[in-house]
Amino acid sequence: MMKEEISCKEVMRYVCECLAQDTSSKRCLGLKEHLESCENCREYFKSVELTIDCYKNYNVELPANVHTKLMNFLKLSDE
Amino acid sequence: MINKNSSTGKTGTEKDSIASYVTSDETKLIELAKESNKQALTQLVKKYEMTVYNFAFKICRDRNKAENIMQETFYSMIKHINQFDSKSKLSTWLYRIVANHCLMEVRKEKQRQFVSIDDDESLYANSYTADYSKLPTKYTENEELKKILDNAISKLSPDYRMVFLLRDVEGLSTEETAEAAELSISAVKSRLHRARAFLRNEVTKAFE
Repeated sequence: MMKEEISCKEVMRYVCECLAQDTSSKRCLGLKEHLESCENCREYFKSVELTIDCYKNYNVELPANVHTKLMNFLKLSDE
Repeated sequence: MINKNSSTGKTGTEKDSIASYVTSDETKLIELAKESNKQALTQLVKKYEMTVYNFAFKICRDRNKAENIMQETFYSMIKHINQFDSKSKLSTWLYRIVANHCLMEVRKEKQRQFVSIDDDESLYANSYTADYSKLPTKYTENEELKKILDNAISKLSPDYRMVFLLRDVEGLSTEETAEAAELSISAVKSRLHRARAFLRNEVTKAFE
């Protein structure tokens, strides 16, 4: 029981280390193997990915007047 | 976007030809910018203004600060473009400039206290109980989720925020992130996994 908990905790850390890293590394291969057999860790992995996606999709528009002020500040012509 | 009417003193035909080839080749655009060619500088600013503005906003979570930082960033770019040696991408160089301006801005808030995420034990000792099915699918349009994301990332110290945003959100490689944030590769990796875990935990808590 204890051993399994530690193993999952390590996996949680490795998920955060290995995400988008070199997936052919020994550690990432071990991680993949663990994820295939552990539903909880799979859920954790998905939730980390989803959190990153939320931040990726959260963008703001550049207002036209802010662009104009920038060009004026830099003394560049926009026309 | 080709700028055909800027006042560079060139004829219309000359201006058109410069604009058409510089837009397709950033290296030539940079060469012209180093010669203070205003049309080339305009093209560079237009190419990267959205990226710089968004990155500054994501670090500071404040539109006015993002606007000021964007102006300072491009002012620095124009002033120091001759020092750009093309060994790295222009975008990575710009990220370094905007990152420095952001850090200067955020560090003005000396009284701000950020959470400590140096303790792996507590960072990973959480449950798997989150139900991510509760997350709205159209999350970019959801104001409630935006507040949660703002609140979570605001608790992170700027150094951690910087690494997470450069690597995961902007999609720079680990090496490029290290260069832009002026950190070692191992420092990037260590901050990144902690920032990911912390943000994941915070967003999860908000939906429990």
